[in-house]
Amino acid sequence: MASVQLHGLTKWYGKRLGVENVTLDIADKEFITIFGPAGAGKTTTLSLIAGIVAPNRGSVRIGGRDVDGLEPADRNVAMVFESYALYPQMTVFDNMAFPLRSPKHRKSPQDVEDRVKRCAKVMKIDHLLQRPIQALSNGQRQRTALGRALVRQPDVFLMDEPLSHLDAKLRHSMRAELKEMRSQLGTTTVYVTHDYLEAMSLGDRIAVINQGRIQQVGTPKEVYFMPASLEVAQLFGDPEINVIDAKVASKSGGRPELQILGENVPVGVPSDVVPLLNGAETVKIGLRPSDVDVVEINNKGNFHGLVYSFEPLGTKSVLTIESVDGTRIRALLDGHRVFDVDRRIQFKIDPNAILFFDSERGAFLAKSKLIREEAGDG
Amino acid sequence: MNESVSIFTLVGRVSKTVLLLVYALFALFPLLWMIIMSLKPDSQMFTTTFIFSPTMENYSAVFLRSDYPHFFLNNLLVSISAVLLSLIVGVPAAYALARFHFRLKEDIAFTILSFRFAPEILVILPLFLIYQRTGLYDTYFGLIWVYQLITLPLLIWILRGYFEDISPDIEAAAQLDGYSWWQVFLKVLLPLVKPGLVAASLLCFIFAWNAFTFPLLLSDARAQTSTVVALRFLASDTVHYGQVAAAATISALPEVILALLIQKHLVRGLSFGAVKG
Repeated sequence: MASVQLHGLTKWYGKRLGVENVTLDIADKEFITIFGPAGAGKTTTLSLIAGIVAPNRGSVRIGGRDVDGLEPADRNVAMVFESYALYPQMTVFDNMAFPLRSPKHRKSPQDVEDRVKRCAKVMKIDHLLQRPIQALSNGQRQRTALGRALVRQPDVFLMDEPLSHLDAKLRHSMRAELKEMRSQLGTTTVYVTHDYLEAMSLGDRIAVINQGRIQQVGTPKEVYFMPASLEVAQLFGDPEINVIDAKVASKSGGRPELQILGENVPVGVPSDVVPLLNGAETVKIGLRPSDVDVVEINNKGNFHGLVYSFEPLGTKSVLTIESVDGTRIRALLDGHRVFDVDRRIQFKIDPNAILFFDSERGAFLAKSKLIREEAGDG
Repeated sequence: MNESVSIFTLVGRVSKTVLLLVYALFALFPLLWMIIMSLKPDSQMFTTTFIFSPTMENYSAVFLRSDYPHFFLNNLLVSISAVLLSLIVGVPAAYALARFHFRLKEDIAFTILSFRFAPEILVILPLFLIYQRTGLYDTYFGLIWVYQLITLPLLIWILRGYFEDISPDIEAAAQLDGYSWWQVFLKVLLPLVKPGLVAASLLCFIFAWNAFTFPLLLSDARAQTSTVVALRFLASDTVHYGQVAAAATISALPEVILALLIQKHLVRGLSFGAVKG
């Protein structure tokens, strides 16, 4: 049980950037997910905490103790690798017993057996203990790898995409199991994933990392509803958030309005957002597909478009609309609605759901308070 | 329909057996011929083929009345030492070439392999002169050293492939499990490359044991090996084919015994893929 502090961690692999200036404070018993696309520096961050690679700059503290320069064996962390990294020449039992037979964590043979068996029971692999690793399925290997990490009591758990090689169904059930298990364990955990659902469902907090830099750290609600940048907004959510270029037309006396999608449909900027735009004339707006609503009744405030594609997904369906100026808008709708391709439709946008971003740098500018308060208590 | 299929399978099986039998004869006949020769008295060497009066005379001439056993032991000593030295140098070298990235890595690896390219006869003259000058001529150490040209590249290149097959994650995992680097190497890595280690060592031993050019020209009465000495039974005045055959039969024994003992590892080791998790 320990807190973890990363301070200014920078790692270059030759000329390739691993991570740059990663600073992160992880509280004792916190479950933090590090989320980002492939090659963002997630695994590098874990390896730096574990001591598998040494940083060019920066420091790592575990439990208040400076661990820079300590060997991985001396840091008392346990790690689950994306490749599982099981010892192929050993049985499941020997794999799980391996940490307990090491010079650092040596236990008596009886103790080793008790712990391995108890842990195997939790992981539901107690009937496989004498099997060689080659005889296991992917899911069983993954459980063995988790078991090997769980069998001793480390200060910190590091998990590197432990679910990514499982098939979709198993992944979802393991995700639920992991969530169940983390509440029993109560150990500080750093969990790396490229799946935003995993990141949001498991983490107390999410650290979003991209191109080697931390973009945002916050609760799942914060990063979803108040993303620090357009980049972060695009990483969360499936289908991806709609990004639309918008002109801010200020009317003398009245509230500014957004001109979007080549139509003369007034979308008022919410009053509490106006001062935060700093008088910008152009902005990028982000609109979650779930905030686009297809309507059947004619209204002055409706946008127009053609159905570009329609994907029914059971309870939900994804509709791609080609708007008047050619921008494609994705909408997430109820599953029971059916649309033919090329049908003319009208849709509506909720101004309070719009995320406002700087048009050049993509930095977050504002979002209407109505939703923000909801996000704040997460 | 069923009948025709079974006829085909039957023909397949029979022809397979026949082919294997032919191959076995082809492979084993020289060995058999050698053993037969070694049991023939000199007088019947050219007059008989399979029917003759067997004698142990050749063996006793080679073993009791010549210094052949001395050279046989020489060969054992030199070959085993050469393999051991190759292991001590080659295992870390193979690991480094597989795991670390450093300048000129591929060039170094290729240079090591290129030691095997040149025929021994090409380098033997300068080596002979150097050995004469430095006093390495006709010493055990001199032979063991020059044998590294034969054994080391082979060992390094086979083991390098094995080390490359092991994911670096496995090493990291073992270190996180509480082991120092040396313990990881001994407890995790070595067991994983064991099939390759055994196969490569055996091959190295066979090549070292069969070496001819180097011991012929770089050693003399003291350090010479049985491969060279066996030919001494073919002097210009007397030609004892029977004794040559007896010496050769004995000389082949260590290889045959070794190969039979570790056949299992040899097949697995050379077919690779043993590490794939």
